[in-house]
Amino acid sequence: MYSGLERLDLDKRLLYVRNILIFSLSFLIVGLVYFQLVRADEYVELASGNRLRMIRLLPPRGNIYDANGVPLAVNVRTFDIKSYPMNLRNDEDFEGVASLFARHGIPMTPEGLRESIEKQYVAPYRAVSLATNLTLAQVSDLVMDPDFQHALFPSPVWRRIYPGGSLMAHVIGYVGEITREDLETQRDLYYQGGDIVGKSGVEAVYEEQLRGAVGDQVVEVDSRGRKLRDVNYNDPLKGNDLKLTIDMATQREAARIMEGKRGALVAMNVRDGAVKAFFSSPTYDPNPLTWGISSKEWSALLDDENRPMMNRAMSGSYPPGSPFKVVTATAALMENVADTRTSFFCPGRFQLGNQTFRCWKRSGHGRETLIGAIRDSCDVYFYQVSVKIGIDKLIKWAKELGVGERTGIDLPGESRGTIAGREWKRARRKEAWYQGDTVNYSIGQGFLLMTPLQLARMYAAFANGGRLVTPRLNSEKPPESVQLRITKAHMDSIRTGLREVARAGTGRVAGRYGVEVAGKTGTAQNPHGEDHASFVGYAPADDPEYVVAVLVEAGGSGSSVAGPLAGQMLAYLVEHGK
Amino acid sequence: MLAETSYSWGEIRKGLDWSMCAVILLLFVLGLISIYSAGAGARRSTADYAIRQLVWGGVSLLAYVAVLRIGYQSFLRWAYTIYALAFLMLCVLLALGTATRGALSWFRLGSVGFQPAEFGKAALILFLSRFCTRYPPDIPKHLFLALLLSGVMVAMILLQPDLGSALVYGAIIFAILAAADTPPKYLGGITATGIAALPFFWNSLKAYQKLRLVVFLDPYVDPQGAGYNVIQSRIAVGSGGLWGKGFLQGTQGRLHFLPEPHTDFIFSVYAEEFGFVGGVIVILLFAFLFWRLLRAAFRTKDARAKLLCVGVSVWLWFQLMESVAMSMGLAPITGLPMPLFSYGGSSLLMEFVGLALAQSVAISPVRDKLESIT
Repeated sequence: MYSGLERLDLDKRLLYVRNILIFSLSFLIVGLVYFQLVRADEYVELASGNRLRMIRLLPPRGNIYDANGVPLAVNVRTFDIKSYPMNLRNDEDFEGVASLFARHGIPMTPEGLRESIEKQYVAPYRAVSLATNLTLAQVSDLVMDPDFQHALFPSPVWRRIYPGGSLMAHVIGYVGEITREDLETQRDLYYQGGDIVGKSGVEAVYEEQLRGAVGDQVVEVDSRGRKLRDVNYNDPLKGNDLKLTIDMATQREAARIMEGKRGALVAMNVRDGAVKAFFSSPTYDPNPLTWGISSKEWSALLDDENRPMMNRAMSGSYPPGSPFKVVTATAALMENVADTRTSFFCPGRFQLGNQTFRCWKRSGHGRETLIGAIRDSCDVYFYQVSVKIGIDKLIKWAKELGVGERTGIDLPGESRGTIAGREWKRARRKEAWYQGDTVNYSIGQGFLLMTPLQLARMYAAFANGGRLVTPRLNSEKPPESVQLRITKAHMDSIRTGLREVARAGTGRVAGRYGVEVAGKTGTAQNPHGEDHASFVGYAPADDPEYVVAVLVEAGGSGSSVAGPLAGQMLAYLVEHGK
Repeated sequence: MLAETSYSWGEIRKGLDWSMCAVILLLFVLGLISIYSAGAGARRSTADYAIRQLVWGGVSLLAYVAVLRIGYQSFLRWAYTIYALAFLMLCVLLALGTATRGALSWFRLGSVGFQPAEFGKAALILFLSRFCTRYPPDIPKHLFLALLLSGVMVAMILLQPDLGSALVYGAIIFAILAAADTPPKYLGGITATGIAALPFFWNSLKAYQKLRLVVFLDPYVDPQGAGYNVIQSRIAVGSGGLWGKGFLQGTQGRLHFLPEPHTDFIFSVYAEEFGFVGGVIVILLFAFLFWRLLRAAFRTKDARAKLLCVGVSVWLWFQLMESVAMSMGLAPITGLPMPLFSYGGSSLLMEFVGLALAQSVAISPVRDKLESIT
């Protein structure tokens, strides 16, 4: 069958192959003789005092600027004291270094030192930082000490500072040393222990862009560990700068407006989603977090009952209250439950079976059409239409307007809020959805929760004629938006209602700051205390440019507390043409 | 059908080359010791790698026995299908790699990875053994076909890109063709073409690959990156001296001066701890293994089996030469595993399969004898 090769005698060739394979191995033995016998002493010497050391050079992060080029995050030079793990082995080494530092006012214990080295350890010849953030004066003081060991050496490093301090904390975030968990789960293996990474805010979202590329220095040392010469030097590469849409002056105005209150203020361009102000109150100073604070200070910050670290503008979910009525209005118009001429009578309350739902105005509004109901924030009007719309269609339009989904802003930790609904209630409460739930839902109460940013985005869609924009902080990120399926005539009707609010309705105060405002007040019941006050609106009313959402936790009345705050912000934005 | 070419336990026991089995097992154990030593670093003392290698050793042993039972003839019968399958796997891998925009040489299933390039080595050997016997390469047309059909596989490997494995493939192809009585002038032609293609080849290399080749000539060109590894590995081997520093006493490997001590630089770890004596013992053990592998080739009458044994021997030989020479800085760093030594599941498994195919050839004369008696 295999007639082909059978006719040949392969064994001659096999003999060649065998001899080549076996005798070529002598080449390896000759190599071993040369390196392990002839030059062994030389290599034993090299191995015992392996003379190459490596130092990881961290790059400066990219700067972050506001829309006008005002620096929001920059780097300053400080010094680290570094050493190699191979020079710090026994307890005396640790105690010696710790006491040296302690004498010069740098708090340090041998245990802490050991822990910090363990965290940064890669190899015995790779430098680790023992003390960080020292000034030039501190370093020269240390080096002059006769006990300053030859195994230690100062190394310049970049530290992050935030000139805006607490003003921009919720936007910029802060950086810090990478955690062990992060190191173990990282995908690109870029980081090593002791590296600095963005922990929150823009610093975290744009980490890859901001971080730059690390450099490396290889030095040869003598037998006592002192540097003899550079063997190799790779410069670290600075990260890319970032320019934000936000504006420092507007943000400062927002902080002034929100001073002493607990809540959030969001201001955004209605057309392209560029965020102009993004303030959560109270706030915190990110600088100490970056430079390293004690665990006591850290837990104090976390345990503060006002929760300054929480970004209320996008992570805080609140019952939206009356500003949600535009959703019910949209559903009513689009589902043909009502048109602008349909009217309902408001006697101050609404009877559903044996349940009574009250209007905020106990005496009632009398007969109201859609525009009037928005202007007066008449609850009963919306109760009545909601029963006719039904929860499923109401939720369909809520979804269309971005309720229950993240806005997609380029910040980490955004909340979705809660859109609720039949399935949600069954899963969470093990209960069916009742018509009474729909009635509550229609005025933004009940199970519904939204973030101030979601409200701002929703009103921006009414302001710009029907596009749901994605809020953005990075000025180089192209604007994104989704066209809504809401008839233009219906949008116009709702806009007329919103304009009436500030002209003659509940939001009159918001329109007293020099620009014509359109918007909606909100006074939402708060199960934990006094009502949350809110106002969401845009200006100028006939050609809107900016949308502002203000929420004051336990602030009381939307029209008297939140309305003026939003009015001031809108007036500032329009006047300064931001 | 299977019964015709498969072997009974009795036949296996009778025909088995026990000394070959002993050498394989001994080399595996020495490798396991080195992997343990490499893993027991100064920082995180762990036997993790050694335990996993031991599990893979068990799996490989099962595969070894299974291959013996089935017999090499069955594998040769399916050689073309197996070869096509290996080629297909490499295609899929390349497509996936392109989709994820990265070099991909693994199929991953949970924590178990599988390298089709390793499977491809055995497939290539089976294919060429059968093909060159049916179409002897002493005729240009046959030679051309053999080169073309095996060349497409090498091309797939180069596209991955896995330079080291491509070199192993090249060595296997050349050796089988040479053993199959390809006239010397053709072999010379192939060699000359290869040398002439070198400049083009050099230009197609990635920067890091070029750097690896350059540092092999002068490690101090890049003492921090690739060259650093060469220097440190040479220090490891050289400082082992005559007797070595003793088990778990090597500082180069354990203090992480050596990169990848349990895979690429496993011989450096071994040579540092067991010295010149240990190193020579391992090389002699391999020499013995090659001798036994080719002894099986001499004893069989089946030309396909002869070529198969040559293929398996050259595969292991090339990787041995490369990884030991690399540890002394006498060959460029290619990342090829040292046979039976380096940590790695799929390479170990496929080496055992290859060795089992050759062992099966060693067993086969038993049947001839039995047949002649009956």
